[in-house]
Amino acid sequence: MARRPDATSRPKLLIRHRQAAPGADTVYAVHPGALPVGLWAGLAGALPRETGFAVLDLGAVPEYGEAALAPELSRLTVGHLVDLLATAYRADRADGDGLGDGDGDGAGTVFVGWSFGGVLAHGLTERLEPAERPRAVVLLDSIAPTDAYQHTEGEPIDPAIVLRWFAMFLGARRGAEVRPRPVPPGTDTDAALALLLDDAIAAGALPPDTPMAGMRKLFEAYTAGLLRNNRLTAPYRPAPAAVPLVQIKAADSLVPADPTLGWGELAGRGLTTHSVPGDHYTMLIRPDASQATAGLLPLLRPAPLVTTRRPSP
Amino acid sequence: MGKVTAGEVQQWLIEKIAERLGEQPSAIPPGQYFDELDMDSTEALIIAGEMESWLGFELGTTALWYHPTIEALSAHIAEESARHGATA
Repeated sequence: MARRPDATSRPKLLIRHRQAAPGADTVYAVHPGALPVGLWAGLAGALPRETGFAVLDLGAVPEYGEAALAPELSRLTVGHLVDLLATAYRADRADGDGLGDGDGDGAGTVFVGWSFGGVLAHGLTERLEPAERPRAVVLLDSIAPTDAYQHTEGEPIDPAIVLRWFAMFLGARRGAEVRPRPVPPGTDTDAALALLLDDAIAAGALPPDTPMAGMRKLFEAYTAGLLRNNRLTAPYRPAPAAVPLVQIKAADSLVPADPTLGWGELAGRGLTTHSVPGDHYTMLIRPDASQATAGLLPLLRPAPLVTTRRPSP
Repeated sequence: MGKVTAGEVQQWLIEKIAERLGEQPSAIPPGQYFDELDMDSTEALIIAGEMESWLGFELGTTALWYHPTIEALSAHIAEESARHGATA
């Protein structure tokens, strides 16, 4: 939905949560939309107070929203998004925000990218000069833009997979867990959506009077975002990473069977993998997931490592 | 649903939004931007879907983007409704 066309309230690409203390690192998180950008306050709050924290919010890029809503008019590319991120990042670093960053005292940066934000955090890193690059790129349940996961233009997304992701999304927005019932093979998308609507209402994820027409519109908007990201990554040929990669998957990941979500192919400087509680969406919301993620970031002065256990069934 | 006027759409939208927000319709200013109403994007999309059922035609995906107030969207829908009526 459009925001006010008023320069005074125009959303900013870079949102500063906290300045770094002298000698401490700054974390830059790339947010790809889908959830409110304010949720990053959870991870910012779980990091040591001296660590700087800023979010690069793609929700502030009008072309990014338009590429989902009106794809036929869009010429947006990953390269253009990376240009915008690089400009915002460099301006922030030049402002001396990080108090000591880049001045030889050893402080630096770590990039974090959730979901499609991971693709852009990696792209941004490769766009930067070696001295500007972060210590590592941390991918939060992010799928690699590699052949195994790239879709050709117009290729549909498997409805069974998307409905599972959509159920997670609906639940996360209302702090509910939607457990969709198994859908018989051959069920068409509309019938499957009707079942999911019942399950979402039963779980408290949607108001009881939500009509099927509203459910269809929600699903249409959700898949428009996925298709936009698929269109953006289809022609994109990423370079191997020049810094170490860290993949932190959600316990209930987008793709449970793949421990690296395809990033092994791009890990020129190594890849470590971890898991935190929650699903793809609630990993940004749950305090225990934020604590666990904070402890896994490769900072100069790291947060305490938190071990988490799955709750007993 | 036959041809609708901007006033009819505006009244329908205000009633639906007021119901979602638990407010009186008189408390919903038609010139206010949707993103300033205390309504998240999920609720806005549910209302958009419900409105499509009421109208009998689909809204373009960019309708809320380019017509971001109740007033502007109502005028746009009235034009679309006239166009649909003319081609029906």
